[in-house]
Amino acid sequence: MEYVSPEGLRLDGRRPTEMRQLRAEIGAVAKADGSAVFEMGNTKVIAAVYGPREVQNWSQQMSDQALVRCEYSMANFSTGDRMRKPKGDRRSTEISLVIRQTMEACILTHLLPRSQIDIFVQVLQADGGTRSACINAATLALADAGIPMRDLVTSCSSGCLNRTPLLDLNYVEDSAGGPDVTVGILPTLDKVTLLQMDAKLPTDAFEDVMQLAIEGCKAIANYIKEVLQENTKQLECRRGL
Amino acid sequence: MVGLSEGEKEFIKGGISQDLRADGRKRYTYRPIYIETGVIPQANGSARVRLGSTDVIASVKAELGKPSPMQPDKGKVAIFVDCSPTAEPIFEGRGGEELSAELSGALQHCLLGAKSGSGPGIDLSSLVVVEGKICWDLYVDGLVISSDGNLLDALGAAIKAALSNTGIPRVHVAVNAADEQPEVDISDEEFLQFDTSGVPVIVTLTKVGKHYIVDATSEEESQMSSAVSISVNRRGHICGMIKRGGQGLDPSVILDMTSVANFVSRQLIEKLDSEIAAAEADEDES
Repeated sequence: MEYVSPEGLRLDGRRPTEMRQLRAEIGAVAKADGSAVFEMGNTKVIAAVYGPREVQNWSQQMSDQALVRCEYSMANFSTGDRMRKPKGDRRSTEISLVIRQTMEACILTHLLPRSQIDIFVQVLQADGGTRSACINAATLALADAGIPMRDLVTSCSSGCLNRTPLLDLNYVEDSAGGPDVTVGILPTLDKVTLLQMDAKLPTDAFEDVMQLAIEGCKAIANYIKEVLQENTKQLECRRGL
Repeated sequence: MVGLSEGEKEFIKGGISQDLRADGRKRYTYRPIYIETGVIPQANGSARVRLGSTDVIASVKAELGKPSPMQPDKGKVAIFVDCSPTAEPIFEGRGGEELSAELSGALQHCLLGAKSGSGPGIDLSSLVVVEGKICWDLYVDGLVISSDGNLLDALGAAIKAALSNTGIPRVHVAVNAADEQPEVDISDEEFLQFDTSGVPVIVTLTKVGKHYIVDATSEEESQMSSAVSISVNRRGHICGMIKRGGQGLDPSVILDMTSVANFVSRQLIEKLDSEIAAAEADEDES
């Protein structure tokens, strides 16, 4: 199947290095300490952060750092075919772990000893790149909750189909069987904190694909910063400063 | 989890007995309701309902299936509710399952009618394509995103809005009667709208102290002695009823509650109708 037309357009009309439309909103869940909605095209996720708070399970308490927990769940209606999966299947456990590790790397956990931070991400619509969208939403929610972080983490995926590197794969492109590289970076510190790839790819092509994903992460970081600044301005306004 | 001090508890109870609640509402006033339709593009119909800071999404998916042999002239509807841990950390893992099951059960009682298929709020016979052979199965999924009390009423309203947003593809059946399983052709362009005027609304009356209130927040719910959810349709008929909470109720109080629910439901239906119409108009524009 042809994923990139001779004119250089993808199935959904994007250019190979074009990202889907981003939209983010802070404060979607009133009761949470921090929350955000993040959309990448048709992928839509909600993240909510509860904490820092008292550790619920006493035996997990750590005297020198905060406990970070994460749960990823998918809504029944999020995918094209309706399915009813039991909670805690392998895939969501794996993604929960990935998100937890990525977020833990950027939270200054040593500042919040004996406390617990819960990150819950809920996928409302899945159209490829849910992992990336979840990480971006979690970053926004953590920032909204006012949890100290080294830097914002942002994530983006890229792949390679018809020998063309493609940025931000959607579901159709993702299931085409080509490589799928998910990268998470700390944009200001310029460090990679998450890197996952499936399928095979020549080494020189990998460099291009990964570079593309990093560029995508940086673009997302710029957008997230704008959203956070806008949010802060509004908060300022409400306080009458 | 709601942690309240003795003073706060007294304040809530005192406010309710004086018909002025903590957020300034009277006993029988709802919080503002906002409805958005078509929020899930993959579904046949969907709606998001916000009631104060309670936030729920309902989606309807239609699939072709076979009617059950007991009721060959009726389609099937199944309602499932999920509580997302984003709403409350205690819903994490399997923690939300109990509440999910309770809410799904209550919604089925209130909207789907008896096991025999009689008296449902949703007209099941309109879902049949070929009697005894093909019908539409509707899967209604509710998701609680943020919870601040009165989840059942919000889910009921969301399902009502999602059903009125639902377009079921028109099906052309190839005419060869001898065939066991007739061939069908699902149209991509023609959609049938669903008649939702008969779908009831759910009114939950929460008893706190001597009085009962509608649309309780989670703080108020933590002080309840018992709650009765009554589903009422447009004609004022009661379609289902469910009682929760530990303490018993005097039968005369229940009768009193039904008449109050009947009165409140009329305002609620009117409010929902106008909100749904506004949401649909919004969606058409964008």
